Amino acid sequence: MENERYQVVGKPVERTDGRVKATGKARYAADLVAPGMLYGKILRSPYAHAKILNIDTEKAKRLPGVMAVITGKDFPGIPFGTRPDTRDQLPMPITKVHHFGEGVAAVAAIDEEIAEEALDLISVEYEELPVVLTAEDALKPDAPLVNEFSKSNIAYTSDFVFGDPEAGFKEADYIREERFSSQRVAVGFIEPHACLAEVDASGRILLQGSKQSPYPTWRHMCRALDIPLSKMRLVTPFVGGAFSGKHDPFDVDFAAVKLAQITGRPVKIVLNYDEVLAAYRQRNAMDATLKMGVKRDGRITALKAECILEGGPIAGIGPFNIYFFGAWLNLPYKVPAIEYHGKLVYSNRAPCGTVRGQEIVLAQYAVDSLLAIIAEDLGIDQVEIRAINAVTSNWKTANGIVVDVSGLPECIERAAEIIGWKESRKSRPKGRGIGFSCASHPSGVRLGGHFGSSVLLKLQEDGKVIITHGGTEIGQGCNTIFCQMAAEILGIPFEDVIQGPSDSDTAILDSGMFSDRCTYWDGNATIAAANDLKRQLADIASKKLKANPDELLFKDSKIYVKDNPERAIAFIDAVRTAYYELGTPLYGRGYWAATDIDLLNWKTGRGNLAHGTDFIATAIEMEVDEETGVVRLLKGVSGDDAGQPIHPVMLEGQVNGGSAHMTGHALLEESLYDDKGRMLNYSWRDYKQPTALDTPEYIVEHIHTHDPYGPFGAKGAGEASSCSTLAAIANGIYDAVGVRIKDLPITPEKILAEIKKKKEGK
Amino acid sequence: MFIKRLPKFTYHTPSTIDEAIELLVRYNGHAKVLAGGTDLLVAMKKRSVIPSHIVNLKTIPGLSGITVTGEGVTIGSLTTVAEIEKSPLIKENFKPLWDAAKVMASPQIRTLATIGGNLVSAVPSADLAPPLMVMAATAHIKGPSGERVCPVDHLFAGPSTTALKPSEILTHITIPLQNGRGIYLKLMRRAALDLAIVGVAVSLTVKEDNICQDAKIGLGAVAPTPIRAYKAEREIIGNMVTEEVAQKVADTASRECAPITDIRATEDYRRSMVRTLTKRAIMNLWEGNR
Repeated sequence: MENERYQVVGKPVERTDGRVKATGKARYAADLVAPGMLYGKILRSPYAHAKILNIDTEKAKRLPGVMAVITGKDFPGIPFGTRPDTRDQLPMPITKVHHFGEGVAAVAAIDEEIAEEALDLISVEYEELPVVLTAEDALKPDAPLVNEFSKSNIAYTSDFVFGDPEAGFKEADYIREERFSSQRVAVGFIEPHACLAEVDASGRILLQGSKQSPYPTWRHMCRALDIPLSKMRLVTPFVGGAFSGKHDPFDVDFAAVKLAQITGRPVKIVLNYDEVLAAYRQRNAMDATLKMGVKRDGRITALKAECILEGGPIAGIGPFNIYFFGAWLNLPYKVPAIEYHGKLVYSNRAPCGTVRGQEIVLAQYAVDSLLAIIAEDLGIDQVEIRAINAVTSNWKTANGIVVDVSGLPECIERAAEIIGWKESRKSRPKGRGIGFSCASHPSGVRLGGHFGSSVLLKLQEDGKVIITHGGTEIGQGCNTIFCQMAAEILGIPFEDVIQGPSDSDTAILDSGMFSDRCTYWDGNATIAAANDLKRQLADIASKKLKANPDELLFKDSKIYVKDNPERAIAFIDAVRTAYYELGTPLYGRGYWAATDIDLLNWKTGRGNLAHGTDFIATAIEMEVDEETGVVRLLKGVSGDDAGQPIHPVMLEGQVNGGSAHMTGHALLEESLYDDKGRMLNYSWRDYKQPTALDTPEYIVEHIHTHDPYGPFGAKGAGEASSCSTLAAIANGIYDAVGVRIKDLPITPEKILAEIKKKKEGK
Repeated sequence: MFIKRLPKFTYHTPSTIDEAIELLVRYNGHAKVLAGGTDLLVAMKKRSVIPSHIVNLKTIPGLSGITVTGEGVTIGSLTTVAEIEKSPLIKENFKPLWDAAKVMASPQIRTLATIGGNLVSAVPSADLAPPLMVMAATAHIKGPSGERVCPVDHLFAGPSTTALKPSEILTHITIPLQNGRGIYLKLMRRAALDLAIVGVAVSLTVKEDNICQDAKIGLGAVAPTPIRAYKAEREIIGNMVTEEVAQKVADTASRECAPITDIRATEDYRRSMVRTLTKRAIMNLWEGNR
């Protein structure tokens, strides 16, 4: 077994945050208190699109207990955005509101009741504007402009051609074109947005918030507040899930900081979940048309895709999304030639970021659905058509991504075996079906030169190590696996590595928690930091053992000479020598960035922008009730290539979690709007996330590979399964009852309507 | 628009029903009674009701519990849905109610929510109403002028309105002994923790010669209130139970109901699900009978 090489890596150690979370003792942003703390509340727009003519805050300010009231005008008016060319957002709006529920004013008061009462005393004069609700609305020639910083409703585009698509389609024996669409969905973390802001005597800001990627939050906030980076510090408490919904700073964060600056007192803002569902990040709505050419045996010869993402009134991280959709059509299947045209458009719905898996989720849904349709047309077995096209090791995609190691063929084989695909082709009960989908996901993309990760290890005189890193524990388990990695390298027990705080003053430079990058990038930085520490200890030990430092091994809390384990000193003795004889404190410093791969060329879309492509093949068995249209998922099997599993149990949790998460996207969830752009279902009663009972029994088969660049051979893991679930469900419904729904979510009503159509057609 | 903290109110803790009624009379329409609070508190946070006075019934002894009587069972209005779900007596003898209790809301809500509250809130999708209707349950109401009874069939006046006057309190429900068998089927968007898109309760008494002696059909979420499908019932009473008859009954029920299109489902879907679920319920009971 590969695992036996390791003492700590690959073992299901107890999560460092397990007990404290399970017993309710973990402190999240909403639990924080500070002396003299005030409570903030945000007034929200009832309109989706309206000019702000005037905001009168005088009455609210006079209410006893109210300490400050702010509006967009209290900020410097400097826009911020993810990219230098998409700075289209203000901390709070000044001239107009862009979506239902957008914050227009905020209050700080001595208690929450007074703050809420004050909101009712603020009077806002609006002038309603026509609403841009869909991509179609946005692209009309006379469409009203949504974003005041942009002269167009097109927020970003991505266009590229690789290989020779024309020749590819000519070479094809069969071509099929289909249109797929996907709805607005909420992100789905448990903890609503919350933060506590304080300003110290020197004017330096401390923000403790529920943030997924403190680095971009810090950068964007300092820009929009017009302060130097050194004037702000971010400390991240426990975070109750994020799934790409907590990357950027929100009005919550800006308002808390501004109110704290004005009042000189700490200000806490905790949202209710209805505010989160109505007015914060969602997944882009998609409208995509894909054309695929294949040879008679199912081999893909060319792909052409057009995609429009409707992303709300800001670009946000949308430029990445619109690029990723096209880029990840190049995987997980071998596509020799591709043409792609993508548009991200503004609208007056809630602003989008993305959700777990980014818009790769949508790309893989579309491409795998189309492949399934083609297999059906040509009479090719669903497993076979995937196997024949699956990307293999040492593959270079048309757009330049180098796949070093692919376990996909084995993932497909094992998933098919475990779900019982072959047997199911002989006979299966009426209404039963199995759907397949494959997917791949990068282990952290290199989208900019500042993308990197850093880790600091402090070895204390008692032999215990404190680790601080730029990653954020958002439930994915990073605070556990970096302890595992450091312990493995240093040859000490897992328990001897202690997770330090997430503090921008000590842990720096980490571009954020997205794109499956944390394990990979911060993991490599952890290894580098541990090796740095190890070198220092080896120097000390080598003098005591009269050996060459290179000959020394670290294991079982001992440092010993290779091939001669009797010549050893205890790890703690080397530490004590450093502290008590040499007066040398011990720090290990590590950083990592994939500088050996390309920085993406945004103009051409070409570039090997990611190492460690992870792969998954998901098979889901289900039962469709032909009379009610209700889909019941029975069993979900994933063959998953995440390289070397660092923590196999948490890895399973990630794979199953991603799949369960997208069950809602496939079957249940949809943010609904009326024709004026007001959201209709912003409560957990009406917005239907799946419960445990809506998810099937899950089986994960780890396909063990070794990534040459990943930490201990690991790849990223949290997002691939979210990319393979939508198509697996759509394909399974087709297998069960012979109808194909191409617009998500696949509701019982849509299924019944198609069944009816099919019956009438016969 | 968005929920807020609870509005200010005066809180009362009567120790007898009469005391509670007196409070309701005194605050004439400005008071609300509190049972489980699972509907009331949410409505207050949304500001859709802003009562100046809250009269907590939970401080009154004797309003909760399931008691067997010679004629059937008495269920106190403060009996929680969880207590009903856990009662073997209800499960054995009044199964539609048990069916509904076990699929209502979430375990946490069921621990708080009461049978009285579910009825008095009078939402069209109230899960406990159709089962009580098909079992000929009676609501016992006490007010300033004394006690009165009202069949659950006639308890609902419209969405969120009942036959109760502002100063009246629902004290308990009685269900007579059942001759036939019954079932409640609930269609939801997700497998748990959801409102009914359609709820169908059916109670059938079928004689040995396969002739239906009595039938009651209760429908939830397909009209402004929970309703009985009387026309559909007449299609089966006195007839031999067959699949064809079940289909005919189901068709009639689907025409008899008056659903709307909203964010949860369309009118068409609801009608066709009334048809599907009514037929399934009848077939299930009939097959269980054979």
